[in-house]
Amino acid sequence: MPEHLVSARGVGHIYGERPAVTDVHLDVAAGERVAIAGPNGAGKSTLLRMMATLLRTGTGTLTVLGEELPGGARRARCGIGYLAHDPLAYLDLSPRQNLQVYADLFGVQDANRRIDDLLDRVDLIARADDPVRVLSRGMAQRLALARMLLHGPRLVLLDEPHASLDAAGAALLDAELAAMRTDGRAAVIVTHEVERIASVADRLVVMRRGRIVVDEPVAGRGPAQVRARYEECIA
Amino acid sequence: MSTAVNRPRWTRQLAGLIRKDLRLELRTKETVVAMVLFAIVTLTIMQFGFGTRDDDLTRFTGGLMWVTLAFTAVLGVGRSYVAEREQRVLDGILVSPVPRIVLLAAKAIAIVIYMTITELVVIPVVGIFFVKGPYWDSIGWIALVALIANVCIALSGTLFSGLALFTRARDLILPVLFLPALVPVIIAGAGATHAVVGGPHDMSEYRGYCLFLVGYAILFLLVCIATYDAVFDD
Repeated sequence: MPEHLVSARGVGHIYGERPAVTDVHLDVAAGERVAIAGPNGAGKSTLLRMMATLLRTGTGTLTVLGEELPGGARRARCGIGYLAHDPLAYLDLSPRQNLQVYADLFGVQDANRRIDDLLDRVDLIARADDPVRVLSRGMAQRLALARMLLHGPRLVLLDEPHASLDAAGAALLDAELAAMRTDGRAAVIVTHEVERIASVADRLVVMRRGRIVVDEPVAGRGPAQVRARYEECIA
Repeated sequence: MSTAVNRPRWTRQLAGLIRKDLRLELRTKETVVAMVLFAIVTLTIMQFGFGTRDDDLTRFTGGLMWVTLAFTAVLGVGRSYVAEREQRVLDGILVSPVPRIVLLAAKAIAIVIYMTITELVVIPVVGIFFVKGPYWDSIGWIALVALIANVCIALSGTLFSGLALFTRARDLILPVLFLPALVPVIIAGAGATHAVVGGPHDMSEYRGYCLFLVGYAILFLLVCIATYDAVFDD
């Protein structure tokens, strides 16, 4: 039986009186990359934030990296990498200083070498000591990618990851996602860019009005077919 | 089966967060400079408002100083989560395995440092503006009570600024919650200062006020330990 890095059973969340996520059942196995798509307000980001331990489940049971939330949230966080719309970086600190903060928070060993390696990989080594404030949006998002990978997370949670990445960053992210299939990590990707799902995900999950309406493999489908299937689901 | 990696040490997390806050302050100089300027302007206004240089305001010194420091603390505490909020970094911090009480401790230590720097300017200025009798031989005692009061201010301030962080009317909520909570600190700080300024020292009164402040700090520490997870995780 595959090891599940995420397991949701009847998970729900309500904002005020409006249900944002309702009765979600979802498993994400090690090595799997799951794309969650859906129209605005479908509950995708809310579900991702619950998996990231940033939001408590209102109903149901959510287990992440073997830890039931919210009780095991702190242990689960050690293995979660989160990429959001915003870079989650201090604008007045440099990329290196930002990564040092996160290295301390995650207890990264041999932090300086790891930070230099990552800054090199995301092509920010030349700007490593400039304030993030003066970097372009694409550079800041590449820094966010480095931050997400810094502690070697087993589960990465990505919210519209390609929206702000430049071409170099997107290629790096796609390579990282491809590597996850073989090294036992897993990814959950919330996206509006449905065509990309064919190349970066193994499974397509479509949400509508807080519920999962489709959960099926992507295998063998091209971008146009994924788009057609998505349109069919949300029609 | 748990697949998460080992937990990092909280001491490293705490040191990292404090270093980050101090680096941000060194780079932007937005909080301490604002606090010092605000305190000086307030003391100057009070100096004019309460009479001339010829009037002896010694017996009001404690009150004038601690009211000024309380308002200055509101300014400093109000800025304590500005970078996280305005630069939208909070999610990045909260998704890391840092115990929420370590977040509080780091912010509280940063506030103690900012308050201490402010007091390094405020305490001498108070002596120049308001005290006619002996003052400079009491500086050590005033510094001691200020240090204890800073811990009180930092603990209660960090708790209230954490609570206000997630409210829309945070700029209103923070002073409304925080200033009444500072009343005991103002009373004890002013009382302790009064006991050692302008005449023979009344050390038993001074000691009583200091012990009261220590009790206040312990009380707020316990409240923080009991509630801070809920502030960020609920």
